Amino acid sequence: MAELFISVLVISGIAAGLALLLVLSEKTFQNYGPCKIVINDKKELTVEGGKSLLASLKAEKIFLPSACGGRGTCGVCKCKVLDGAGPLLPTETPFLNPQEQKDNIRLSCQVKVKKGLSIEIPAALFDIRLYQARFAEATNLTYDTKRFRFQLVEPATMNFTAGHYVQIACPVYKKGIEEVSRAYSIASDPKDNRFIDLIVRRVPNGICTTWMFDYLKAGDAVELVGPYGEFRLSDTQSPMVFIAGGSGMAPFVSILHQMRNVGSTRKAEYFFGGNGVRDLYLHEQMAEFEKNLSAFKFVPVVCKPSPEDNWQGQTGLVTDAVRKNFTDLSGHEGYLCGSPGMIDASIKVLIGLGMSEKNIYYDKFS
Amino acid sequence: MKQSPQDKNLEAMLRSGKLAAGGFMGSDLRSSAEVISADAAALNALGYTAVQVAARMQELRDLARPWMGNWVQASAVLRVKSEDYKGFIVCPWPHAGRYEKRITTAERLDTGQSVSWTDLNIHLILEHGFFEGRDAFFRIDPEQFIKVVF
Amino acid sequence: MILFPSGSISSEVWLAVVTCFAAVFTQNILLSYFLGMCSFVAVSKEIKTAVGLGAAVVLVMTCTTVLNWMAYWWVLVPLKLEFYQFILFIIIIAAFVQFLEMVLDRYSPSLYLALGIFLPLITVNCAILGAVLWMVIRGYSLIVSTGFGFGCGVGWMMAIVAMAGIRQRLDESKIPAGLRGPAITLIIAGIMALAFVGFTGVLQ
Repeated sequence: MAELFISVLVISGIAAGLALLLVLSEKTFQNYGPCKIVINDKKELTVEGGKSLLASLKAEKIFLPSACGGRGTCGVCKCKVLDGAGPLLPTETPFLNPQEQKDNIRLSCQVKVKKGLSIEIPAALFDIRLYQARFAEATNLTYDTKRFRFQLVEPATMNFTAGHYVQIACPVYKKGIEEVSRAYSIASDPKDNRFIDLIVRRVPNGICTTWMFDYLKAGDAVELVGPYGEFRLSDTQSPMVFIAGGSGMAPFVSILHQMRNVGSTRKAEYFFGGNGVRDLYLHEQMAEFEKNLSAFKFVPVVCKPSPEDNWQGQTGLVTDAVRKNFTDLSGHEGYLCGSPGMIDASIKVLIGLGMSEKNIYYDKFS
Repeated sequence: MKQSPQDKNLEAMLRSGKLAAGGFMGSDLRSSAEVISADAAALNALGYTAVQVAARMQELRDLARPWMGNWVQASAVLRVKSEDYKGFIVCPWPHAGRYEKRITTAERLDTGQSVSWTDLNIHLILEHGFFEGRDAFFRIDPEQFIKVVF
Repeated sequence: MILFPSGSISSEVWLAVVTCFAAVFTQNILLSYFLGMCSFVAVSKEIKTAVGLGAAVVLVMTCTTVLNWMAYWWVLVPLKLEFYQFILFIIIIAAFVQFLEMVLDRYSPSLYLALGIFLPLITVNCAILGAVLWMVIRGYSLIVSTGFGFGCGVGWMMAIVAMAGIRQRLDESKIPAGLRGPAITLIIAGIMALAFVGFTGVLQ
């Protein structure tokens, strides 16, 4: 009887002792203590070690862009780490070409903060914040495009430049979905900085667009991070050609608002292409801009109008319309927004008409 | 069967909703290796290879691409259109490379059957022989595809 | 058991060295007794990872042999609980491997990632438990057990590194599709084992 007791006690005692030892070692080994991150040789942060660089910076309100939320699947969160990152991990190598590897570029979601780090990030990232917002309403623009309005809650205002985009965090809204974040250009007036408008086109079986179109309800809490991006009007007075299609109108709505706010007299012709008349939208808004901006012209182009549409405007592909309307664009600047295919085709046409490549601006989101 | 850590990661990535809503396997319980070999056998029986299928997909996509979503005649009985969306998607296999979100649809004018594929499908079939699981959203059924497109 | 059954430390150490040598060559735990085959077949593709895993196994084998010797002779035998040896040995091996995982994660994350699931799999590597049980059955003293554990580990590491070297060379050869991977590895292991049979009789 005593033997049974002793044997059970001894084994449990040893097992418990070992478990305790392991817990203590885990605390010692996983505790990296406070680590110092030096950014751009100027700013210094002290963070709790053990988390990824992306997460540590996020906790300090510095938001590196990320499309997959730190899971190592998108390769967007690249960051230059001068010192302290340790050897390159096999989870990073698929996303870094040899030149990037030589330049000490790392994937910040895979680099663990274990000791002091020295990193370099673009200065513009310091202005990016996390915004708690509320979904206010959605307006149907076409059969597959909607305008979503988000009321900002905390912070209550966002100062952005026309052309900027935000990343919206798509939550787990049904089984088989995981959290992702997606980038959309801001379509609202920079003057109305208490809400954000996004123009979104439904993607077949899309993760984020399905949520926004089918699951989002008025009043739902939403997280936005921004404003990001380098797409904006240049400081010159050169005449401009805008080309967009699908949801690509978004940044141009914001840009046109901005132009109206400052009373710009800069010449701009906006070619918006759709396959059918049903793909066009915001006609009244564009007409109003034409009224308020003396040098602005909106040119909708429909590729294959059906007879019942009674379409009076230009026809054919939007790139063909641009080619028909201009002979020499060497003094113009080009601004493009839309699907990658449309952007590639537009760039070719603009260069063919004499536009200099450095005067062509676009946000491809790829 | 014991799997290497790389295989485990791949299976997890294929089933997760991180890259595509619903994953690449749908509700298929087989492993990706089984799916690939089953489709390879089906293709073999029909007399085609995965490389041929991918090449034809690419050919039709490149034909329709400049038309940005409008239908274009590929042959007397076949028309194609190619629509793309902003953004990109990465391959579930662990290698670099981003693929544009482009959906190409081919429709037979005589039978009315149609089949759709994405740019990522082309890569998955060409490099990995992967046609996606049984009821994945963008699964390419080899038999259906060949009937429509060849 | 007293620590020095053969009388003096120096003779114990000599016995340990001989046992170690035997464990590496004439009684190689992998090539003569075929223990520890799963990780051997799976991780022998690259020399770098093979060396990493081999080193981990050497460390685990040496340390757990010592720890288990102490647990057996100083805890189980006095309390007459020898029947518990299997459970206790596995518990100690598992705890030690877990500890090793934490150390590797902290100090060598690339090796930790490269080994992946095969690091915790060292726990159920039969070579480890096999070496420990032999130490008990053959009644080795502490110093000899240390030498024995170390020798088994080094023997296992040598076999896996040699296999990795051969397999890396094989990358350029044309192996029939059905034999690629585990099949050709087992064939090579058999040939290596045959080669090691040549060591029999080296030690008396």
